[in-house]
Amino acid sequence: MKKSNGLAVFVFIPILICIIFLVYNAYNRAPKDISNTKPDVTIHADSLTFAYENDEDLANKNYLGKLILVNGQVVELINQKDTLLNVIIGKNESVSKVSCLLNKNQIKNYKKLNLGQQVYVKGICTGYLSDVELNRAVILDPLNK
Amino acid sequence: MKICSIGIFIIFNCTFATAQNKLYTKTGTISFFSKTNIENIAAKNNKVLAVWELATGKLELSVLMKGFEFEKALMQEHFNESYVESDKYPKATFKGNFENFGTLNLSTNKSYTAIVKGVLTMHGASKNITLPTNVKVENGQVSATANFVALLADYNIKIPNVVSANINKTIDISINIPAFKVL
Repeated sequence: MKKSNGLAVFVFIPILICIIFLVYNAYNRAPKDISNTKPDVTIHADSLTFAYENDEDLANKNYLGKLILVNGQVVELINQKDTLLNVIIGKNESVSKVSCLLNKNQIKNYKKLNLGQQVYVKGICTGYLSDVELNRAVILDPLNK
Repeated sequence: MKICSIGIFIIFNCTFATAQNKLYTKTGTISFFSKTNIENIAAKNNKVLAVWELATGKLELSVLMKGFEFEKALMQEHFNESYVESDKYPKATFKGNFENFGTLNLSTNKSYTAIVKGVLTMHGASKNITLPTNVKVENGQVSATANFVALLADYNIKIPNVVSANINKTIDISINIPAFKVL
């Protein structure tokens, strides 16, 4: 009887604690930081915009929910009180562009950007409104993209 | 000379009126909140597209379902894959009209309570809703907020029994358009 109690204390309870710990961590894990994740697709901003303008359903099949590395020219920078940072990439004359909502940790990289410069941004494609939208985006160093 | 000045004034005002035909924003926010005894669930989307036709009072809102950000990754995955099926239904839209549009004067600083009635389409289902909306004009800047409650069953969103106690059947939804721009 004592032997079986000891077995419960030294074997089953630690296993139970480990299971609870793993389940708790899985349940509470934060959304993944994509900084070091390899992109599913690498594409120029103009090509991505064209794909959505041309056939939104087909573009969604190819890009929706995927991690996209996009490059192109910065045409607009939107900073709402340092909390919402948007980089708009594309052509000034185009109606639709690629709108990248940056991760909050990108404030330093964001402040180095200038209109007209070429940029590489990686983000999760959430679809198309008037622009193609990328979320949780990070700005990449062009030498280490 | 006087006639010329009047002519310029009229042309200027016509141009101004035409230019202000529509207000829009691409950076409105929408958030929702579910409260139960077991847990609270909140999510926010900072990319609401809103277009407001000033001549008619017509208001259209669009939002991408995958744009909702949750604190917990698992909740976001369940939301997209199981509940709103965002691959199949990537957008939610609202198309409506200001009921008392004629009483709004957007050229003076003032707050208005307005009613917007229209159709909310989400998860492939459409439902007539009423948005009690607060419109604020301050130094030429127009902003708007609205709060309403959505019943999940109205949009065919099914919650599995195993987590039914964790998610409220009615969800509080808040919309905030901090700054409309002239289109």
